Amino acid sequence: MSKEVVPKLFRVNTGSCNGCDVEFVATAFVDKFELESLGVELVEHINEANVLVVTGPLTARSEPFLKKYVAQMRKPYAVVGIGTCSVTSGIFRDSYAIEGPTDKIVDVDINVAGCPPRPESIAEGVAKGIKVLQQKLNGEATPKTLDMIFSDFTAPASFRGKIDLNEDMCTACRTCETVCPSGAIEISAVEGGFIHKVWHNSCCFCGNCAYFCPTGAIFNTNSFDTAKTQDEKYSEVNVGHINYETCSCCGENYMPPSRGLLGKAYVHDDVSKLNDAICPACRKEANFKRMYG
Amino acid sequence: MSEKIAIGPFNPELEESVYFKLKADENRIVTDVEIINGFIHRGMEGLVTKKNFMQNLILTERVCSLCSNNHPFTYAMAVEKISGIKIPLRAEALRVVADEVKRVASDMFNLAMLTHLAHTHDLMKETMNIREHMQDLKEVIWGNRMDMSVNILTGTKYDLDEGKIEIILEKLKIVESQVRALQEKYENSEAFKEKTIGVGVLPKEDALSIGVTGPVARGSGINNDVRVIAPYSLYAIRPEIRPNVTLRTEGDVYARAMVRFGDILEAIRIIKDVVADLPEGPTYLEKRPHIPAGEAVVRTEAPRGELIYYLKTDGSQKPERMRWKVPTFTNWEALKVMILGDKVDNVTMILNSIDPCISCTER
Repeated sequence: MSKEVVPKLFRVNTGSCNGCDVEFVATAFVDKFELESLGVELVEHINEANVLVVTGPLTARSEPFLKKYVAQMRKPYAVVGIGTCSVTSGIFRDSYAIEGPTDKIVDVDINVAGCPPRPESIAEGVAKGIKVLQQKLNGEATPKTLDMIFSDFTAPASFRGKIDLNEDMCTACRTCETVCPSGAIEISAVEGGFIHKVWHNSCCFCGNCAYFCPTGAIFNTNSFDTAKTQDEKYSEVNVGHINYETCSCCGENYMPPSRGLLGKAYVHDDVSKLNDAICPACRKEANFKRMYG
Repeated sequence: MSEKIAIGPFNPELEESVYFKLKADENRIVTDVEIINGFIHRGMEGLVTKKNFMQNLILTERVCSLCSNNHPFTYAMAVEKISGIKIPLRAEALRVVADEVKRVASDMFNLAMLTHLAHTHDLMKETMNIREHMQDLKEVIWGNRMDMSVNILTGTKYDLDEGKIEIILEKLKIVESQVRALQEKYENSEAFKEKTIGVGVLPKEDALSIGVTGPVARGSGINNDVRVIAPYSLYAIRPEIRPNVTLRTEGDVYARAMVRFGDILEAIRIIKDVVADLPEGPTYLEKRPHIPAGEAVVRTEAPRGELIYYLKTDGSQKPERMRWKVPTFTNWEALKVMILGDKVDNVTMILNSIDPCISCTER
């Protein structure tokens, strides 16, 4: 038999930039985000709470206080980390003053990435946290994945959500890697080409990569589905394969020019008809022969 | 008989973590106050020297999400000053539009928290609901509800077309009439006035000697709005858009709330004026800036007051030193004057009335 659970929320700010806290307040007090429908109660003292909401990258100064507060909680409880900072320390990861992320200190159940997450994501994260709590109360194992609870939320097309990559356009020029402030993008050379990874849990959704990308290969989708269980934390990656082409002339591997860049260079020509599948060295040779041979 | 009271560091009434150690007498009047901070210190001054100029545009935005446009704005101005770049007029206008939109949302949030702490729940709900219009606007135009990511070096990322201007004006029309009605409700709410009038008074002499800025100063009768006394960006080019500052002399929590209402309405007026006569031209310079070795100091008016950036470069791709003085840094000192001699129950409300941005101050 399942026991009824009254979720009692307590929020701890471990050094956030305000964004997540402000959005949490908005989620809690604006009706359209439906947090009320979950029967949530905001409590004054930590020892009454059974859902802990953590924001911020966990600064060195707040670490002992967070430990002290967590020790006061009665089991079972669920922990919901809100914002990229609480999931991976995000943009502040390399700082000397950061002891985070939160899951070093507390067993986190739900992670909500976003900088800050939309209130819809926060509500989703809290709802999933309550579900986990319910399962803990009934002595069931914590689920590995959870389905969406609020399925009717939408985002405007302009919303900067999860990053996606158009592999055909990418030339692995590393511009996105250079401008990404939180080190969420990694391009690594492998046999046969490059692998382009975007870690959604480190990303701060600023859109710098999309703005500076010379070919328009990397872009923000408007997906805000970031409330995930702890088990999914390290699998939230967008992987793109940028493959070498083999030269039809000499058989060497080379990085093909992106269609996007060719389109910029040859404004009046149909790019698809250009002489392709030929490496720069062979192209030079062919051109030389054509002009002087 | 005295009583020791501790508030914080994690308290649902405090939006950010701060630790108060108070001593109170038998009437629960505060006789001694000690404020312990450092909970939000993320080592940002060290962090900015590890990131390049493009990354710092975003990192400075994360100093504080409530004034998250002012930081990159001021930082970009400092870099442009070192490089000796003059950015296009349209970019200046677009930056100011984004800045004022943030100001409205930030001040509205502060008012919502104030009414929450004054236990006038209806007013709080209404303030949050009106603020949602601004949040929606930010999401539709800029793509995020808090961090708009507007600025790049030498200009702005975004541009406004007819359709977007239409959306902005439509939203502002709704917000403006609702804010006016809301202000009237604040003025007529006995519960709210009883909680806030005469509470947390900062006399003008103290305000001057401490050097408070922003709405805290204007609530005590000092006009030091940087947009007026040392205009920058579009405020320097077009004097007619400078704000008509609201001044109050009472110096209490109520006065500061009313100053914020004045700021909100002026910000709405400024946005409308700017988008009505948006200069033509590019929104950024095609040429990426060369950033030589140099130093610059820039100041702007954030929603909380004067924000000063100091930037030192050495010709490399990363700043050599960056330091900023944020409005809460000086306003914080005024808290001791405000809290002493007031009731313990009012402490969190008085703290909120300076619109503290601890994440800016401790960075």
